[in-house]
Amino acid sequence: MIMKNIKIFFLISATLLVLGGCDEDFVDINTNPYAVIDIDPALLFVGAQRTHLGGWETEHTIAQQFVNPHNSGATLGPNFNADIDNFNNGKWDGSYPGSIKNMVQAIALLDGNTERGNLLSILRIWKAQVFMGLVDTHADVPYFDAGQAYLKGSEYFYPKYDDDAAIYADLEKELKEAVAALNPNGDYVAADLFYGDRGSIKTGTAAAQVDKWKKLGNSLLLRLGMRYSKVDPTKAASIVSAAFNGGVMKSNDDNAYVKYDGTLFTNGANGGLVNNNPYFYYAAEPFVDQLKATNDPRTPFLVATFANPAAPLGDPNPNTNIADQFGVPVGVINTDLAKAPFRGAKGGGYNYSQMNVNVVASLTAPDFWVTYSEVSLLLAEAAQRGWIPGGEAAAKQYYEDGIRADIKRYALYPKATTVSDADIATFLASPGVAYNAADALKLINTQLWIVYIRNGTQAWANFRRSGFPALKPNLFNNLLNGGFVRRLSYPDYELAQNRENYLNAVKAIGGKDDLITRVFWDKE
Amino acid sequence: MMKLTKPMLLLLALFCCLATTKAQQITGKVTAANDGTPLIAVNITVKETNTGTVSDTDGTFQIAATPGNTLVFSYIGFKTIEITLGNEKNLNVTLEEDAQSLDEIVVTALGIQRESKKLGYSVTSVNTDELVQNRTTNVIESLEGRVAGLNITPPAAGAGSSMQIRLRGQAAFAGANNAPLIVINGLPIDQGARGVNGLGTPRDLGDNLSNINPDDIESMTVLKGATAAAIYGARAANGAIIITTKSGRKNQGIGVEYTSSYTSQEALNFFDFQTEFGQGTGGKRPTSGANAATTGQFAWGERLDGVPTPIFDGSLQPYSANPNRLFDFLQTGTNFTNTIAFSGGTEKGSFRASFSNTDAEGITPTNEYKRNIINLGINQNITQKLKLQFNLNYTNERQINPPQIGTQGPGAVNFFTRMATSIPLSAFKNSAVAANGTETLTSGFQGTLLNPYYAIAVGQKYENERDRFLGTATLRYDITDWLYAQGRYNYDYSLSFTESNDPGGIGTSVPTNADGTFKGGYNLSEGKGTDVNADFLIGGGKEFGIFSVDANFGGNTWRVKNNSFNQSSSNFIVRDLYSIGNGSVRNQSYGFSQFRVNSLYGWAEFGFKSMLYVNFTGRNDWFSVLNPDDNSEFYQSVSGSFIFSELMKGMDWLSYGKLRASWAEVGSSNGVNPYDGILTYGIAQNQFNGQTTASISGASAPNQFLRPFSVEEKEIGLEMRLFGNRILLDVSAFDKVTTDQILDVQLSNTSGYNTSKRNLGSLKNSGVEFLVEVTPIQTPNFTWTSSWNNAFLSTEVLSVGEGIKDVIVLNWGATGNEFIGQLRYVVGLPMNQVYARTYLRDDQGRILLTDQGRLIASPDYVSYGSSIPKHTGGWTNSLSYKNLSVGIHLDYKLGGTVISSTALNALRQGHSKASLVGRRVGETGVVFPGFYRSSGEPNTKAVDPAAFYADYRNNQMGDIVTFKSDFVKLRNISLSYNLTDLLRKTRALGFVKGLSLTAACRNVAILYKDIPDLDPEAIQSSGDFRSGYENTSLPTTRNYQITLNAKF
Repeated sequence: MIMKNIKIFFLISATLLVLGGCDEDFVDINTNPYAVIDIDPALLFVGAQRTHLGGWETEHTIAQQFVNPHNSGATLGPNFNADIDNFNNGKWDGSYPGSIKNMVQAIALLDGNTERGNLLSILRIWKAQVFMGLVDTHADVPYFDAGQAYLKGSEYFYPKYDDDAAIYADLEKELKEAVAALNPNGDYVAADLFYGDRGSIKTGTAAAQVDKWKKLGNSLLLRLGMRYSKVDPTKAASIVSAAFNGGVMKSNDDNAYVKYDGTLFTNGANGGLVNNNPYFYYAAEPFVDQLKATNDPRTPFLVATFANPAAPLGDPNPNTNIADQFGVPVGVINTDLAKAPFRGAKGGGYNYSQMNVNVVASLTAPDFWVTYSEVSLLLAEAAQRGWIPGGEAAAKQYYEDGIRADIKRYALYPKATTVSDADIATFLASPGVAYNAADALKLINTQLWIVYIRNGTQAWANFRRSGFPALKPNLFNNLLNGGFVRRLSYPDYELAQNRENYLNAVKAIGGKDDLITRVFWDKE
Repeated sequence: MMKLTKPMLLLLALFCCLATTKAQQITGKVTAANDGTPLIAVNITVKETNTGTVSDTDGTFQIAATPGNTLVFSYIGFKTIEITLGNEKNLNVTLEEDAQSLDEIVVTALGIQRESKKLGYSVTSVNTDELVQNRTTNVIESLEGRVAGLNITPPAAGAGSSMQIRLRGQAAFAGANNAPLIVINGLPIDQGARGVNGLGTPRDLGDNLSNINPDDIESMTVLKGATAAAIYGARAANGAIIITTKSGRKNQGIGVEYTSSYTSQEALNFFDFQTEFGQGTGGKRPTSGANAATTGQFAWGERLDGVPTPIFDGSLQPYSANPNRLFDFLQTGTNFTNTIAFSGGTEKGSFRASFSNTDAEGITPTNEYKRNIINLGINQNITQKLKLQFNLNYTNERQINPPQIGTQGPGAVNFFTRMATSIPLSAFKNSAVAANGTETLTSGFQGTLLNPYYAIAVGQKYENERDRFLGTATLRYDITDWLYAQGRYNYDYSLSFTESNDPGGIGTSVPTNADGTFKGGYNLSEGKGTDVNADFLIGGGKEFGIFSVDANFGGNTWRVKNNSFNQSSSNFIVRDLYSIGNGSVRNQSYGFSQFRVNSLYGWAEFGFKSMLYVNFTGRNDWFSVLNPDDNSEFYQSVSGSFIFSELMKGMDWLSYGKLRASWAEVGSSNGVNPYDGILTYGIAQNQFNGQTTASISGASAPNQFLRPFSVEEKEIGLEMRLFGNRILLDVSAFDKVTTDQILDVQLSNTSGYNTSKRNLGSLKNSGVEFLVEVTPIQTPNFTWTSSWNNAFLSTEVLSVGEGIKDVIVLNWGATGNEFIGQLRYVVGLPMNQVYARTYLRDDQGRILLTDQGRLIASPDYVSYGSSIPKHTGGWTNSLSYKNLSVGIHLDYKLGGTVISSTALNALRQGHSKASLVGRRVGETGVVFPGFYRSSGEPNTKAVDPAAFYADYRNNQMGDIVTFKSDFVKLRNISLSYNLTDLLRKTRALGFVKGLSLTAACRNVAILYKDIPDLDPEAIQSSGDFRSGYENTSLPTTRNYQITLNAKF
């Protein structure tokens, strides 16, 4: 009996195993029943929508608004004119494997889909915005072949770098085509973090949303056109005019921004200023001096002196008197700040102003990508240059509208007090602010510099484009030939991982992957 | 579980009372069978005890034994025999000559016992005495330096940590499972090292070998090469370690064995930091408490003078050195292990049941490791032809607060080795908690340098509890006397539960989040795995005159299913209350995976005149994880052995000689994971302002065409016993090429993805292993055996993909918590190259500097060497005099490279002696002996040392922080005394069958090393990604151990 059972047992096992070679279950077994393998491309878009805005420590330091005077190894950054991956790669790493990958995938998922034309246009506009920032930061970058390792396979593992001017030309085309393709009778992208159902500014219908994105797209086109002001003013004029005629942002209700609730999501860049070593971080002297010189009503929102710079969050009511603000001089090392002629130590840090971590640098501060203030100030310059109609009068109007809108924008920040219309009027009429044709470009772009706080990419790019404000070069160790950082070098790992394309790109941008090579639009 | 021991002790007492049989003196004489000459110094032992004697010059002997005991007579050059005693008191024994000692039986793959002479590949049977005499918490650690080609690397990671086990090198690139297959009673399991890998939890959670109690091990065989393990097919790439646990012996009666061992561990201090300068920056001491609180990490202050100076808590403390803080913080580690085993046997079967309890405390306060193991083995002949074998091993392990290591973040070692020496330990202890309940700021690296006293004060907790159940049931039916069939079912079930909290006040001065809730987190996770192997085997052997044939055919199905839950909460409503319910943000996830491998296999062996053997194996595996259109792989091997001493019988000096050769092609599907080929999306845990968002999951571009990688290994060997077995020599040479390795190819991240798995890599490991064992002295009372094993390993990366010359496996310098260097695979160079930048030099080799006298790095990274030691080995000496035996073991690893984060941080923060250059008497900074790049003139500018040394980190220059990882250690000294004879003389204790006491000391001394301030074995990780990278491990320990073994 036992014998028989055993025989049966072996027979069955053997049969099962022979059959096992072509186990029908294998396909089921190798399918993860819990994995999401199909997705609404709109969700990928909104997952990628909060794109990299530029960091405090890199772009804002180069633009002399912010300083980390500590040179203790890992913090040797732009204040010391150092060419270090740690500070160069933020936008690169924040874009290619993040927003670009997901937007490229979303666009691919929409291939052949005629129902969702508006989503596709929105994706194209926003992707153009990301690449514009990458070109402005690094010059030539991978563009046409980027983000497609999965979609197109191993030939796209090591993308070639594309010429910066050629990328810009394609971005112009993309923006124009995408804006043109926006259809008020088409699909509504409810998920849109800017203008969707739960967006910062709710629209609710395709027509209303398309109107907003049309303005946003044209505003980006305006930004793109203005970049040509040094290298090709004629081209600049034509693009700016096209953008203006297409319709740009008209008020703060058009702003592209998101809010942070402070629980599930916080403002990440600002977290860097308070989570670790807050005493590393200060407002820069040129920025504070500008605010003080004009008695800028935005000053209390921007800078403050805290009881102990090592624990600014422990001081909910810091000193925000304009007269008491002092910025850390650029290119000075922390050990020197402790000694005369500098203001010396205070608490765990130094006796200088820091960014106001309760307002502009708060964990719940919103992030703005494109604002009406920026648009209005750019239009002021365009009008002043005669690229759009209206002449000096229009320029003055755009200029004042831009400043006014920016001051009003702070209503969205925590702990920001309201500035009365009368105070704004006083400010607009005060010396150093009041519009005059002779100083128009300086005035406009100095205001843009302030407007662009927390959008480091733009603050730095517009400074390079316009040359304003007239900052003094940081001469630390004389590493930049007496100039400014004009671009950030490529990530070191590209040299190893994408060597051939990297070396070709370095050749194409002039032979050196350094900080002083210029982006194509940044003509000397 | 501790409660269980009480009834067991009662039971033990009962057995003692029942055991009334008395020992009596047996006398006799041993003679040679062929000519009747008396045999001198024959070893005679009472089996299962340590009682023994040797025969006299006239062959006579006298020994105390009881009826039923088995006497074992062994003599070099003669066959060993066993005689079970009846009531006789006089015994005359004849031994037969056995010049070749061919009968050694080893357990090979699939648990098949085979005669050693037939094997065409290298195997090493582990001397299980070494496992119980030099006990380690993880059983495999005691084999370090004992088996040629078996490279054990124990990370310094606390009680119950994992081991790195590599046989004949690292067979595949990092990311693959490069540990040998562990087979316990026929149940194959992965080593499953849960070591620290730099990212994720910086705590080592042990490995699966810690499920085995050394006292339960009957035999352990190391199958070094692919051929030996070939029958395991896709799991054989790294060789195998075959463990059989005890299941009692037939005709034995009831026996009880009790083993108790106590170990104390003393942390070893190799630090030799500077004690001349105190806290501060720019050559100035702190001016106030607040100032001190942000510079605690820097020893760039003034020369120590004992003058009261502010420290981080505002108090004034003498400005003097406190060099031993870390070791004053650490404690003595302990390990108390008790095992009790019952065994018995009748004519038809046997059993053994054991229970073992380990209670260990690590050298970091609050670190505990607790383990209970129940092991049961049953052998039963159901009928004459049908046999049942049943083994069960249940382990319950608890790791409490395993130390945080391997990261420039949390952990006592990182903290105390990076804080200025002028801050006393008492201040860290007494001022750990600030007035608002957060961690008092102690340094400028808040969030990175975390005061461990704070974590202790607020009850930071990390606890992992694991249950593991390994069960094997085997039915074997002998169909005829030459043919059998066998079926086996293996069940492996594991359950792991982890609970941890992150106190909100660690590394911050603000107790609340932006939304007003309290900081902190609480995490629970549970993972469950089942791993079933069912197999059958039909086999037999027959002799045809001078020819013999053995053949087996079998099949296996391997089914694995894992699932896990994770739940975490944060943003607490009630401060410091760690519960899911208290969190206003809660996250949860569920992980699931399963796969199956079906296999058919067979082997056949042909023998000729007991002199020549050839063996073929073949195995076909079908994988569920592969593309269904092409999911099968065939693996094969051939090996042969030639016992040439059969042809040289006249030569007295040669007792045994064998040549062997083998070739195998095996593989590993490791690295092809379930669902690998499919792109998946992740929906974000939390909605953004109410809006659902999603993104592509993972940073790897999926590849649906992955194949298992393959390993081709060739091996030749020579085995000889000379001069009556006084000299034993075993040499192997092997050449192992791994191709189509699954490599996480580093993409340009502009492609959107950081990596993609590809079958690209190819790698060669080749080497020579030898073992020489000599018995220079053998007299009736004194024996000295000395053995030396050495493995020479040479590795070479053959390919990392078409057109690619090197691959950055991991850029340590960019991981965020590691600061320097890279691990690369470079075609044409040995595996595991440690890369960093170096000094920029001109054509004449002169070091170039900036006009300010600062360092300039080379644009490219350069190799500093391979992390893999070229030579590993050990020298073991066993001496025995009457009842006393002594073991002395030295081991070494030579030829590897390590880059030291500890050295880098100690330098740039002013702690190491190297950082004194530039601030010695008369110096005003570092005047580096280099030349200006601009003018070529020699440098004369002095640079502030803090800035100068920071440039090594900023520029990623490895020049002064890269060392040889070489060491020679006096690993172990053990002293064992057998008290059985003494007891025998005391009538009342006659029931004790055996009693021995062993004292051992592990890590006695480092005889040679290169790296300063550290034990070269103080490495962080048992994995392959941090090979060659040192970063804040625990200090290693010297262990003192005493073990008592008693048999009744």
